Amino acid sequence: MSIPNPGRIEPVLWDDWHPVAELAALRHGRRLDTGLLGRPLTVTLRADGAIDACSGPHALPHLDTRYGFVWACLGAPVRDIVKFAAADEPDRIPVTGGSMAVAASGLRAVENFLDLGHLGYVHQGYLGEEPHTDIKPYTVGPREGGGIRATGCRVYQPRPSPADTSGYEVDYIYEVHRPYIVVLYKANPVDRTRMDLIALLLQPVSEESCVAHSFMSYPPHDVNEKSVRGFQQLIFGQDRPILENQLPKRLPLDAKAEISVRADSSSAHYRRWLSQLGVRFGAIPQAPA
Amino acid sequence: MNRWFAVARGTEVPRRHVGHYLLLGQELAVWRSDSGAINAWENRCPHRGVRLTLGSCEGEELRCRYHAWRFASVSGQCTLIPAHPGQKPASTVRVRVFAAVEHDGFIWVNLAQGESPTAPTRVAHVLDSTRSIFVDAPLYAVRETLLDGYPVDSTASRLAVWSKDAYCLSAGNPDHAALVTFLLQPVTDFQTVIHGALHTTVEETARLARLRRHNAAMGTVRDEAERRAAAATGGGATA
Repeated sequence: MSIPNPGRIEPVLWDDWHPVAELAALRHGRRLDTGLLGRPLTVTLRADGAIDACSGPHALPHLDTRYGFVWACLGAPVRDIVKFAAADEPDRIPVTGGSMAVAASGLRAVENFLDLGHLGYVHQGYLGEEPHTDIKPYTVGPREGGGIRATGCRVYQPRPSPADTSGYEVDYIYEVHRPYIVVLYKANPVDRTRMDLIALLLQPVSEESCVAHSFMSYPPHDVNEKSVRGFQQLIFGQDRPILENQLPKRLPLDAKAEISVRADSSSAHYRRWLSQLGVRFGAIPQAPA
Repeated sequence: MNRWFAVARGTEVPRRHVGHYLLLGQELAVWRSDSGAINAWENRCPHRGVRLTLGSCEGEELRCRYHAWRFASVSGQCTLIPAHPGQKPASTVRVRVFAAVEHDGFIWVNLAQGESPTAPTRVAHVLDSTRSIFVDAPLYAVRETLLDGYPVDSTASRLAVWSKDAYCLSAGNPDHAALVTFLLQPVTDFQTVIHGALHTTVEETARLARLRRHNAAMGTVRDEAERRAAAATGGGATA
């Protein structure tokens, strides 16, 4: 019954859940052809509303929905689909940000999402601006429940969200929950005691290509779904050409492969954590010592 | 390989521009500093691997598009990391650079590292540098085809003087100095660019006739080189 795994992809990815389609993008009776972990994948929304998926001749036994996306597991699921506690707060407004195909490893996309130093350049005028380019020290450590967590990130932002037109220094918390799942919490511009949640959910299509899905959850102040979606797509559209021009396309896990500085602390922790987990798909593993 | 190859004409690399070239499969970011130095760098920022051809040339420095790290002309040494503006970047933070010069109207690059590379081949006075031709064939097939098939002169016996070099071929007839020089750029193992230069001064009408003849000949040379390359690999899916 299970999907063949000829590439012997590591269980930490094979037996996990991955996003494969945004629900809103499915049309009755229409197939969505995509891929997951090097296998072909077809998702179909049947006329009765049920969702099917198959990989070649094999029907997918493990399929579910959460946060406005279809999730699939090719192996034997050993844990639940990722869950963001803050998104469960009853008054929050969930918004999906769509799906964008990227010709780069999804691990590169996660690392870029964690990256503070590019905000003032790639997202100049929105998430950063010269001369506010210096990155102050922040703290990175293990996240309770697995993954890593970066706190105390402070960035001057001229236009941190679509609801905001004036700049100020914004607090960020980043969490990597799974190798291909990363979430960012930033202070809400209206109620600064609460945090906006912005999650980037990467679908590892092949080692060198992915689909970036995004999910947001906001406290109920001035949330305009259309403008939130548009903003998210504008920002990610600025990242995509960078991601597609990184060489190599897979993420090198050897600390000596690329030069890092203190501002890259979360990237260094992320790469080390991936090494410890034994993640190989989408990565260039460390050479054995 | 300690050899110089022409990768572009000098006019293709104006100031404040970063050009993307390929030599023997090595991606290059080629740029000219305001003071005139020619740089041919590995097309990859040492920080997070972003192509430097996305970056911008700012006089004597190239700035990476991703985090705006700055790298100095000639040395490739990092001069500024904006995330830590108060700290001087370590001497190990540098782009991998290749030897590059502008010589006789062409940009020449030598991929050899460590040794002091010898000077590039002299190209005699260039009258017209001609359109560069992209050929889907390895360098040896292009070279053979040029030796066999380029009409050196309509009247003289074909091929009087060919230099022996694999990548700089000059040809003429016994009564003249070189008429034409080809500079071969092995882009990859199966793609070659033919840069050409026509020599000797002739009258304007004769010159135009020669350029036309050259252009027609190059079309024939390309087709023939691609046919040979396809035959050699047993491929040739397209006729």
